[in-house]
Formats: sequence, C-alpha cells, structure tokens
Amino acid sequence: MTSLATTLSHALIALGSVIIALLGSIGRLARFAVTALGRMVQPPWYPAQLFEQMLVIGYFSLPVVGLTALFTGSALAQQIYIGGSRFNAAATVPAVTVIGIVRELGPVLGGLMVAGRVSSAMAAEIGTMRVTEQIDALTTLRTDPYRYLVGPRIIAAVLVMPLLVLVSNALGVMGGWLLATGRLGFNSAAYLNTTAQFLKADDVISSMVKAAVFGFFIALMGCYHGYHSSGGAAGVGRATTNAVVSAFILILLSNLIITVIVFGS
Amino acid sequence: MTAKIILAGVKKHFGAKVVLNGVDLAIEPGESMVIIGGSGTGKSVMLKCILGLLRPDAGDIRVDGKSVVGLSARALADHQARFGMLFQGGALFDSLPVWRNISFALKGSAAERRAAAIDNLARVGLGTDVADLRPSELSGGMQKRVALARAIAARPEILFFDEPTTGLDPIMADVINNLIRTLVTDLKITALTITHDMASVRKIADSVAMLYEGQIVWHGSRHGIDSADNPYVDQFVHGRADGPIRMQVRKL
Repeated sequence: MTSLATTLSHALIALGSVIIALLGSIGRLARFAVTALGRMVQPPWYPAQLFEQMLVIGYFSLPVVGLTALFTGSALAQQIYIGGSRFNAAATVPAVTVIGIVRELGPVLGGLMVAGRVSSAMAAEIGTMRVTEQIDALTTLRTDPYRYLVGPRIIAAVLVMPLLVLVSNALGVMGGWLLATGRLGFNSAAYLNTTAQFLKADDVISSMVKAAVFGFFIALMGCYHGYHSSGGAAGVGRATTNAVVSAFILILLSNLIITVIVFGS
Repeated sequence: MTAKIILAGVKKHFGAKVVLNGVDLAIEPGESMVIIGGSGTGKSVMLKCILGLLRPDAGDIRVDGKSVVGLSARALADHQARFGMLFQGGALFDSLPVWRNISFALKGSAAERRAAAIDNLARVGLGTDVADLRPSELSGGMQKRVALARAIAARPEILFFDEPTTGLDPIMADVINNLIRTLVTDLKITALTITHDMASVRKIADSVAMLYEGQIVWHGSRHGIDSADNPYVDQFVHGRADGPIRMQVRKL
C-alpha cells in the first residue's frame, strides 16, 4: 500500500513539474511576444533590416512555395476528379480545387514551407548571435535587440506572407487547371470560368488573414527560440528544431481556429 | 571623491548554484581595476550585473552614485550607453564588414562613420585595408583588436574587458595589453578587466581584486599582489595546484 502511495506521489510530482515547466515556457513566450510588440511600435526603426528580411522571407521563398502550390493543386484536381467521378460529379473539379487551395492548402502549405525555411534560419542566426555574445554586444552598442533583430523579422513576415500566399493560391489553381485541361479533358475557358464563379472575396481575405497570422508565428518562433538558446552548438541545434516544430503546430492550430470561426457558422 | 562604480552586497544565483554571494567593491574614476579569479568564480556574471544584462537577486550597484538595479527599459538603455565592452570572443557581427562593426553605435552619414571607423582602427594599430573585410576573414588577434576599436568608438566613460588575452599567443596578448593600457590612459576611461592572465594583470591594472566563491577575498594595488599576505592571492599569482583554492578534481 505504501509503495503504491509512493509511486502515485512520484507520478504526481513528475506530472506537476511537467505542467509547471509548460506554464513557465508559455509565460516566457508571452512575455517575449509582448516585449517585442511593445518595442516594435516605438522608434528607432531599422528600415534596412526590414527590407532585408522582406527579401529573405518573401522573395527567396517564392520558388519553394510556388512549386509546392503547383504540385499540390495538380494532385488535388486529380483526386477530386477520381472521387467526383464516382458520383457523376467530375465537373466539380474547378470549384473544389479553387476552394481547397485558397481556403486551406495555399496558406497552410505555404506557411509550413516558409516555417521550414525561415523559422529555422532565424533561430540558427539569432541563436548563434546569442551564444557568441553578439546580442549582449548589441545592447552595449546602444541597440535594442528587440528593435533591431526581432521587430523587423516579425513585421516583414506579417507583411510578405499574405503576398506570398496570394502567389501560392494562383499557382495552386494553375496547377489544377494544367492537369485538368492537359489530362482530364476539361475545356480551358470553362474551367477558368467556373473557378472565377466559385471564388468569393471572403475566401481570398480569409486566406490572407491566415497568411499574416502564420507569418507572425513563423517569425515569433524563430526569434524566440533563437533568443533563448544556450549551450553552444548543441543549444543552437535544439533551438532550430524547436522553432520549426512549434511554428508548424501553431500554424496548424491557428488555421483550424480561423477556419472554424470564418467558415464554421 | 566618490567612486565611479560601487557594488554593495551583490548576490546572484542560477537555480541552486550561487554565483555571486555578496560582492562588495568600489572602483574609482579613471582607475583600471582588474578582477582575478579562476574559471567559474562569477567574474563574467558580475560584469553582466553592472551592465544591466543580468539583474542581481540582492544588493545594490551604483554608477556615479545612482542605483542601476531595476531600471526601466529606457533608463537601462541610457545606462548601457555609457559602457563599452570587449567581449571574450570578440562578439563581432559576422554579417557586417569591419568598418560597419566599429561604427555600429555611431551616428552620421556613411562617409563620416567610415572615417571614424578608420580612425579607431588606427588607434588599435590596424590599417585601412581591413576596413572592408568580414570578421571571419581576420585572425584571432585582429578580431580582438577590431572588437577593441568597436568598444572605444563611441568614447564610453567606462570600459569592460572580458578576458582580453584568452586564446592569443603571448606576443599578441602583450600587444592587446599595451593597447588597453594606452587607451585607458589616453582616453581617461574607467576600466574594469576580468582575467586569469597574470601578465595582463601586471600590465593593465592600477588595482586588483580577487573573486573567489562569489566574494571579493582580496583587494589592493597592483604592486601589492606579490607581497599580499593572502593565501588565495598567493596561490593564484603563483599558479599552484595546492592551497586554499581546491579544484574539483577526482583522485585517480
């Protein structure tokens, strides 16, 4: 009986310490986010840093995000065709493809690809700056690391992600159109016509809102994990992994929440 | 005359590990003080507490009589602007060329800042040719000198040196020591150096303090270190394994 009680109390202690650690990291993250957002709205601003980050996050992500959308749009059209044929509904390919791409796959896959590219790079760069004392050096050189490093990255990601997803959506639809007209025998003009008919402004707006939210999480996770990394090369490696994994989870979770709020009612 | 920097009962711990356990120290204006002590005795933590990068758990730190513990973000930035620091690894920004590293905290047009950078490069004995190189293209000794030029570029009132000669050959170490001594004297800067290199101590210091187990165990002038009637200082200065300072080494 005593041993059962001991085992149970050990289990409870272990569970408790996990919960405390989890709450602790949520608190640290919240404090980091609030500090970053608070500092971001006050000068000095660093337009050169902002421009560089917009280039890195937006422009250089175009190939990978574009290809992802193109391939996924094609595969989606193929599957909808196969599935739709069973109910004599193969004609729904353009409508379902455009809705699937714009509402969900364009922003989510684009967000995940950018998270993989950018969150990791941010965590590695800022983490290396942390362990080599470059962040401490910034503060002794009259430069606030939140304004110089974190602010431009978050602003850039929030600004360019919607544009990136817009391109991604267009290429996704194009992927579907290419496959449908090339392989499935759809008429090109009719396909595009149906696509335009079914696409509503709300779909595009929700897609861009999602993209902006994902951009925020992508940059926040990269900066947060890099900023708090410790313990040399291994620590930077851990920070990089944590940044990508946590950005993925936040993207998928916030996507679900936005989808339920916008389309659920 | 009041002291430039005063530490009174400063304590800092990380988890269960007590790093600073009541540090009391006063540094006079224009004085070059060197803190000696073995690895892991809390020297770097002490510097970071004075800079406001870390917040002490207890005690007070005063610069020019004003407490610097628990300042607001803006006041802390003003406080930090009075310091220059030479970091142990240099901490140069590897994405920027040398001249932009040096002029990082300076204002003005690019041409003015570049001229100021070259001027500060000359002070540490480096020519214009390194201005456009990246930090990764420099040797360890040159990186240290560039970092030194960056630390003095904004003409701070107080300079901190974190192990300035670590990782350098004895000749380059002596070059750095001479530079530090000259700069501190010429620019009338209050300097605080942490090191375990006795050659540095003899070159740089006006006064010396020894940190052991989170406390200052000895404080006196540079000339006093050889005759200090203190077993800790005596053991450290002569680099002996036997003495009151026990290293955590397992018996074979």
